[in-house]
Amino acid sequence: MLNRPASSARLRERLLDSERLMAETGCYDGITLLTLRARDPLKFETLRTKLRAHCVSAREMARRISASPGVREVGEMVVAIYTPEGDAIALSNGIMVHVHTMSRFIKWMIRNGYEDNPAIRDGDIFANNDAFIGTVQVPDVMDVVPIFHQGTLVGWAGAVCHELESGGITPGGDVCLAQERFTEGLFVCAEKVGENDELRRDYVIRCERNLRMPIYWVLDEKAKVASCIDMRESVKGLIEEVGLDYWMQISKEFIEEGRRAQLARTRQLTVPGKYRGHTFYGHVTEGKPGFQPLGDPNWLYNIPIEMEITTDGKITMDFEGTQPWGYHSMNCTPAGMDGGMFVTLTQHMNFEGLVNDGAWMATELKLPLGTWTNPDNEMVATATSWALLLPAYGVFQRLLSRGFLARGFVEEVFVGQVNSPMIEMGGESQYGTPFGMAHFECAAAGSGALAIKDGLDTAYVGWNPESDMGNIEIWEQSMPMVYIGRSIVANSGGAGKYRGGCSFVSTWLINKTSHLRLHTSEHSSRVFDNAGMCGGYPAPTCQKHRVVRNSNIHELAEKRQPLAHSPGTDPHNSDLEKLIGGRQETVEGPYITAPHKAGDIFTHSYNGGGGYGDVLERDPVKTALDVENGFLTREAAVQVFGIILKDDDEGYPVADLEATQERRARMRKKRLSNAAPVADWIAGERSRVAGQDFAPEVRKMYASAMRLSQRFAQEFREFWHLDPDFTMAAE
Amino acid sequence: MTSYSKEVISDLVTGRLPWHQTRRIMSAYKDDNRFFTYVAVLQERVQWDDRILLPIGDHLFICQSGDERVTKCECGHSFGDYRRNWKLKASISVRNSEAALAEIYPNSDIADPRWMEIREFICPDCGTLHEVEAAAPGYPIVHDFQPDLEGFYRDWLKKPLEET
Repeated sequence: MLNRPASSARLRERLLDSERLMAETGCYDGITLLTLRARDPLKFETLRTKLRAHCVSAREMARRISASPGVREVGEMVVAIYTPEGDAIALSNGIMVHVHTMSRFIKWMIRNGYEDNPAIRDGDIFANNDAFIGTVQVPDVMDVVPIFHQGTLVGWAGAVCHELESGGITPGGDVCLAQERFTEGLFVCAEKVGENDELRRDYVIRCERNLRMPIYWVLDEKAKVASCIDMRESVKGLIEEVGLDYWMQISKEFIEEGRRAQLARTRQLTVPGKYRGHTFYGHVTEGKPGFQPLGDPNWLYNIPIEMEITTDGKITMDFEGTQPWGYHSMNCTPAGMDGGMFVTLTQHMNFEGLVNDGAWMATELKLPLGTWTNPDNEMVATATSWALLLPAYGVFQRLLSRGFLARGFVEEVFVGQVNSPMIEMGGESQYGTPFGMAHFECAAAGSGALAIKDGLDTAYVGWNPESDMGNIEIWEQSMPMVYIGRSIVANSGGAGKYRGGCSFVSTWLINKTSHLRLHTSEHSSRVFDNAGMCGGYPAPTCQKHRVVRNSNIHELAEKRQPLAHSPGTDPHNSDLEKLIGGRQETVEGPYITAPHKAGDIFTHSYNGGGGYGDVLERDPVKTALDVENGFLTREAAVQVFGIILKDDDEGYPVADLEATQERRARMRKKRLSNAAPVADWIAGERSRVAGQDFAPEVRKMYASAMRLSQRFAQEFREFWHLDPDFTMAAE
Repeated sequence: MTSYSKEVISDLVTGRLPWHQTRRIMSAYKDDNRFFTYVAVLQERVQWDDRILLPIGDHLFICQSGDERVTKCECGHSFGDYRRNWKLKASISVRNSEAALAEIYPNSDIADPRWMEIREFICPDCGTLHEVEAAAPGYPIVHDFQPDLEGFYRDWLKKPLEET
């Protein structure tokens, strides 16, 4: 029985009706039986596969229209098809962040009376990059077009690209110095930007006059519109094939099936219970130029997460106890939190590519109001919300992995993603023109280890499942810097039985420009914003920038002297300091400093992933190979992994198994003699806590968390046996 | 229905399974009997007789030990009732100085020990490093996992546990 035919009712009524049916029946749109699936499962699957194929094909076509290396090289795009009420039916591959963000955007227009004004007509194009309406951050610009069939709205097609330039206070897409929304750049707030399948000229002019590099944004707009039109026509073709009533019913059955599949997958892969973890983010901008006096220059963020899996298979994530929103660009909206969750969930539980909004309905996020996860002020900036999202969803990956491990699916255990700071830049290009850009080679950090093997080297970020650093030659076409090195960072993977994936460092010569501003976003420091698992260590903290201003590199090259191609492995005396003359600078945390010019050298390291398992169980043979290939230093092999290496006849490192066994036995003994019972440690540490003997940023972190969360405060006091009225003093 | 032998799962768990086979397992539909095969493999690996109810770490298990359900190290050391945080009964080594952090990160810039410390939770008997926490000084020790053991066996595995 086709119980929900295409309706002529107003969209708002249809949306409210759909939500009422979900509340009453517990099933999406009141679909308690998958009637069409039961009647003809083959037709059901064929149509679903076709829809997915239409999305994938539309995205691939559109990427060729884009001018942005972020979209063309790195694949920063996703497209999707939605119901009239704005629920995702099918998505392409790509940045799976936006399963529910575009959904929020469409629903927002419906709830805000867009049917009357500005009206929703065939051929209209709506765009949005306002995270409080429904996206993650300013550079995530989305376009949707309605799909009409004989005058009735039967769905939406939507597309998102991550823009490389947003026109904010600092150049690039992720506007790192924004402290309120008014400095984040160009906002398009659920705006009708086109009619009759064409972008409005006045909208394009606004983009051209408000962006440093409008070619990226404008051609991405055209790419998105083309993909939406392509999907719209494909859906209309499908409706011709199966009939309108069948389409209206099956598109909703796909979503209800998605909800049931998510619950079933959770029951299949995990164990019910409560999972807990935490991570941290260090925001260090004290004394840096351009920093506005609104917010705290330094801030330590705690990100605790409690995940509950109930026996019906529902996953709930609770962020209680985390920090308040702040005057910086790293806040996030509930839409952004959805985005972080979905790009993670699709990789770990919905990897067959059939995810849709049904999965969202089988999960829940608890986002305390007033925290960075759910600001109670819509003026806050969210331009770099990935800064906190990435560490947070790295925790989610480890929590899920604990469930996979307990259930026996060890091949799915994954220590998780890491933050991968991005370079933003602008000024005068190598062609003498104004420019601005985000450098997306950060889309290839090291991954966390697995429970059965090492992490991926230079090949993973959580936010883009098709992680890719892009070709050097393509990036060099887009910026006034040339590469003099792109190298593995030794020891950048966290130590463990299986080590985390290693990251890379790029070294550039600034070239053919008199003014280049360089900044980094999502750049934590002073902390571990990742972790290991089951005894594995976290990967190192973010590495500092090593820079040479007014370098003598051209003279050295002329004299055929050796050059530095990376900072090297001595943090106290880099290869740049050893080999290159000029003014040496070492910068901690986000790179916010004076502009550069031709002849300067700039280095930037990405992050590796956390390790898995006890480091003393590491395979010595693999370690020797790691040393040979530059993934690990000899020093770390001996000191951290306890592996004694000797050289073979050709000078290659080989493990001395007997000496290794002896060294590891000694290390294990030392480990035990250095350790104390936890109860003793707690008793000793309690006086430090009671005396609040911490750095100012640590005290402030506790004071903020305790003020915002009674639960956090109570658990903190109980753990340390403190008075019920204990509070932490903060400046 | 997908199913794998105990030998295959054993090789998978120890990381010895050739990559092409591992890759196939990752891409295939999951095997419904995995949990029992997995537990059987682990049960053979340990030197004690207590029944493993749930693995919760690389060398850490919840076991039925007489009338009690306890968290146990692979070496046999018991951390007590599984509902309490096993870490509170472990040994701990804390790295909260530059020198102690540099031992693990010898060639890298290191975290600021005023902001962050590394806590190593160790079995007091065999010295296995079971878990590492990276946390701000003063941060309470986290209880990583509190499984709903009864619900899992009753509702998901359809093999309810005997009451204790």
